[in-house]
Parts: sequence; C-alpha cells; structure tokens
Amino acid sequence: MLCIETKDLRKKYASTVAVDGVDLQIESGQVFGFLGPNGAGKSTVIKLLTTLISPSNGKISVLGIDSAKHPLEIRKKIGVVLQQPSYEPTLSAEKSLEKYGMMWNIDKKIRKKRTEELLSAFGLEEIRKKKMDDLSIGQRRRVQVAREFMHDMDLLFLDEPTVGLDPAARRKLLDFLREQVKNSGLTIFYTTHVLSEAEYLCDNIAIINNGKIMAVDSPSELKNRFGHEKTIKIHISTVSEELKSKLSTIPECQIKLEPEPTVIINSTKSEIVLMNILKILNETDTKINDLSAIPTNLEEIFLKVVGDSN
Amino acid sequence: MIRINPIIRLVNRNLTISINPGFIIWQILFPLIYIFVAGFAYTALIDSVPFGGKNLDYPAFLASGMIGFNIMNSTLISGIIIWNDRRHGMFEQIMSGPFTRTHYILSNIVTIGIIGLFSAALITAVGYPVFFDSVEFNIVTIPLIIFGSVVGAILFGSIASIISVKLRSSEGFNVIINTVFLFCAFASTAFYPVQGAPQPLATIFYLNPLSYLVDIIRAGIFGQVTDFVIIEMLVLVGLAAILFVIATKLLTKLDF
Repeated sequence: MLCIETKDLRKKYASTVAVDGVDLQIESGQVFGFLGPNGAGKSTVIKLLTTLISPSNGKISVLGIDSAKHPLEIRKKIGVVLQQPSYEPTLSAEKSLEKYGMMWNIDKKIRKKRTEELLSAFGLEEIRKKKMDDLSIGQRRRVQVAREFMHDMDLLFLDEPTVGLDPAARRKLLDFLREQVKNSGLTIFYTTHVLSEAEYLCDNIAIINNGKIMAVDSPSELKNRFGHEKTIKIHISTVSEELKSKLSTIPECQIKLEPEPTVIINSTKSEIVLMNILKILNETDTKINDLSAIPTNLEEIFLKVVGDSN
Repeated sequence: MIRINPIIRLVNRNLTISINPGFIIWQILFPLIYIFVAGFAYTALIDSVPFGGKNLDYPAFLASGMIGFNIMNSTLISGIIIWNDRRHGMFEQIMSGPFTRTHYILSNIVTIGIIGLFSAALITAVGYPVFFDSVEFNIVTIPLIIFGSVVGAILFGSIASIISVKLRSSEGFNVIINTVFLFCAFASTAFYPVQGAPQPLATIFYLNPLSYLVDIIRAGIFGQVTDFVIIEMLVLVGLAAILFVIATKLLTKLDF
C-alpha cells in the first residue's frame, strides 16, 4: 500500500522555487531516507507532506488521504519531529512527555506507562525531573523525539532527528526506530545529513537537489547505479618528471603532491588501470608506500549525484 | 477511550505551562500591596470617592479597581503563551498535530477567560473585608461582574496576542507589552476617580478600555448599574470583538 504519493508537487516563495515537480511513491512499513544538501528543499517537502503549508501546485496523498481536502485527518495519523527544536521550557522532561500524550488524547494509564517506557528507551531517567530549559540541546532533542512516540501513528516524519546527539545516543535512537518499524509496521520519512545513518537505517532513499528529485532507490541499488567508479589510492615516495609524463597518458588517474605524493585512480575499470599504473611505477623505479581501495559508500554517491545535478 | 475536545486539551496544556507558584503569588501579592498599602496610605488624602449614588472610601474604590487591573495583568498570559510557542517551536508542533488554528485560538480565549475569572474571584475574596460595607451582590450584579471579567479578558488577551504575533524579539515583546499595559493601568479609573481629574487626563481615561472594564466591575460590586455603565458595556463588547477578530486574523496568517 502506498503511504505517501505526490504528483508534480511544487512550492514557490516569491521568486524562489523551493520544490520543483516532486513525484514520490513511498510504500508503507519502511524507513524512507530523504537526502539533500542544505536548502535543497527537504524541510519544505516535509512541511508540505505534514500539511503545515499548502503546495503552489500538485497533489499530495498521505495514508490514502487527500491533503488538500482533509489535512486534519492526516495530522491525526502522523507524528512529526521537525528540524527546529520544540519544547515547553517550564515543564520537566517527564511532564513534557505526559502532557504531550494528554494533547493527543491518550488515556492517563497508557500515558503513564508509555512515559516510563520512553524515559527508559531514550536514556532520560536521570533527567526526568529537570526542566526542559535546563537541558542540553542533545537531551532536549531526545525528549522531542521520544515525545512523538507517546501517541499512536501510522507514519512518522523525522527531520534531522539526530542533530546534537552523541554517537551512543544516535545509535540507540536508530536501533529504536528500526525496532518500531519492524514491530509495528510504522513508516518513517527520515531526513539527515549523516549519510552513514541513512545507509544504516533506510530501506529506500531519495536524493533531492534544487527542489528536484535526482534519484530514488534502495541504498544497494544506488550503489550499483552510481557506484561503478571505484577509487584506488597509491601513496608513492617521489614524483619524477618521467612518471608524470607516463601517467599523463592515462586519463583515469591524477597525481596529488599534498599532503604526500599520491596517484588516485577513479575509473569504472579501476583494476585494469591499476595494472597499467603499477607497470609504469615499476618502469620508473618508484617506490610504493601504501595502496588502498576505497569502497563505494552512500556519501560518494550523494556527492556525485548532487555534484552532477549542480 | 473518552474523546476529549481538542480545545479542552489545549486549555489544559495552556494552564499547565502558564500557572506556576510564582504566577499565583504575583497575582495575589501585587494587588494586596496596592489595596492594603496604597489604599490605606492614600485614605489620609482621599477621604471618599463618589460612585453612582454612593460614597466609597478609597480602599473600597481601589480594591474594586484592582479586579479589572488584575484581569488585564493576568491576560498577559495569552501573549506570553503565543510568543513562547513561536519562540520554542511549539506553535508549529501543535499545528502539525491533531489541531487546527481555530482550536488554538479558541483555546487561548478560554484560557484567558478562566484566568480572568480566577483573577477576579481572587481579588474579590481578598478585597471583600475592605469593601464589605458597600457591596451589593444580587442576581444582576454577579452576572455583570462575570460578563465584565470574561469580555475584559478577551479584550486584553487579544491585545497581548496581537503584540506577540507582531514581535519576535524578547526585548521588543517585553518593552511594548509593558508600555501598553503600564499606560492602561495608570491612565485609567482603576486607581483614581475621573471626577476632579484635569480634562485632558479625564479624556485619556475614557480612551482606555481598562476604564470601561473597571467601571463595569465596580458597578457590579456596588450595585450601581447606570445608563452610562450600559454604554460602557457596549463599548467594551465592541472593542473586544474588533480586537479579537484582528488577533485571530493575524494568528491565522502566521506562516511557518
């Protein structure tokens, strides 16, 4: 079943086009990663999908509900953690969770039970009585994310939820989210700048730039599509003129002198290129200090897709 | 599961985040100082104040004025809630939840209505021994006091809401709101009678909605409902309606 569907979605602010013809089809029960550089349109898409703002053009269907006709019905079924912090400064962490549950009309007994569970799951027990105003940015962020699990939902929007979290808290959150998707069939729409997070968590990923979707696929498929080109680095002792001259005949490689002399191969046939370069290094009596192959990761694909679109 | 109305849920939340021991102490202590210190200290200067067909002693006059004053002060909460919600991201968060802007606006009005009534009841209880002699509570005057408290709360709550929507910086918000409320407090009939005041000041008194609120409450407490008080009620309702519409329009247009 389609959880989110958009057709030719556009949002224009004065002369700026923030979202430019976005078509998305997201299946239920998965973590969908939404990646893009700063100002690419990620948060605007989230605001459109959560009905906070209206599109200039196009159609949005969330959980099978038309967002133009029944925005409140959508909001009743979704959870939203926006990019900006949101908290009640005068309430304690515990009271924040409890009151948020009340706002969602959760029964008092269930509220109490969930508050305890979430305080434990998010490592907030020690700071449960501390006022939100007195918490660190990371602690506040944890409460903000935990709070959203006080109510039932079919779809959760998380806009850079790990900002300000330390590595341990970040991993704990990612595992918690995976667990939720696995156990309750929740769908998560997840934006982040930390690409290793997206690789760890997401079933499918879309890359957006300048308001347009550049690629949508699973992380492994994206690697297959964009990751043919492998990178091999050969750290060498010196760079002679003869070596420079001979390597200039191989377009797939480049020489960098800083911080140490290095031959870098970027090629879809890197193994063959490597053989040729090793032959040249041997002919020119160049000593190899180190050789490393860099596996294709999501970060490189992201940089390539965004770079190409720019 | 019992389905509680979203407005009631938001009112519950508003009251929880707004009412704290500091607020309640301030709400009691501040008027008490005025009534018992200024009230009795000025008795030497102001022997009695004519009001309707009665002559009130100054502490009784001041205590009844403090009800309107306290209602106005307590409705500052409305502006503070909106301003804090915008500053701390809660406005956006609430709007992405199971609420509409109408829910949000109405919950604010109900909140300030409750706080206004609570405030009026508090000062009436505290001031009762002072103006006990002249009080005339009856079937007309009690609803009049409740009416004045609620309409006044909506009026000043709307003013505070308008200021909070228009200003983003904390300095700007505090300076403007304190200036407006200070002017309203002291250029009104809350502290002094209009009779005997210089003409320009008397005119300013009646350009100030707090004077209308205070006169209505006073009329209710001392049973002096005159034609002028009825006109004042109409003016207060009209002003409250206009300001409420403006505040609602501004809140509806708030962008994310």
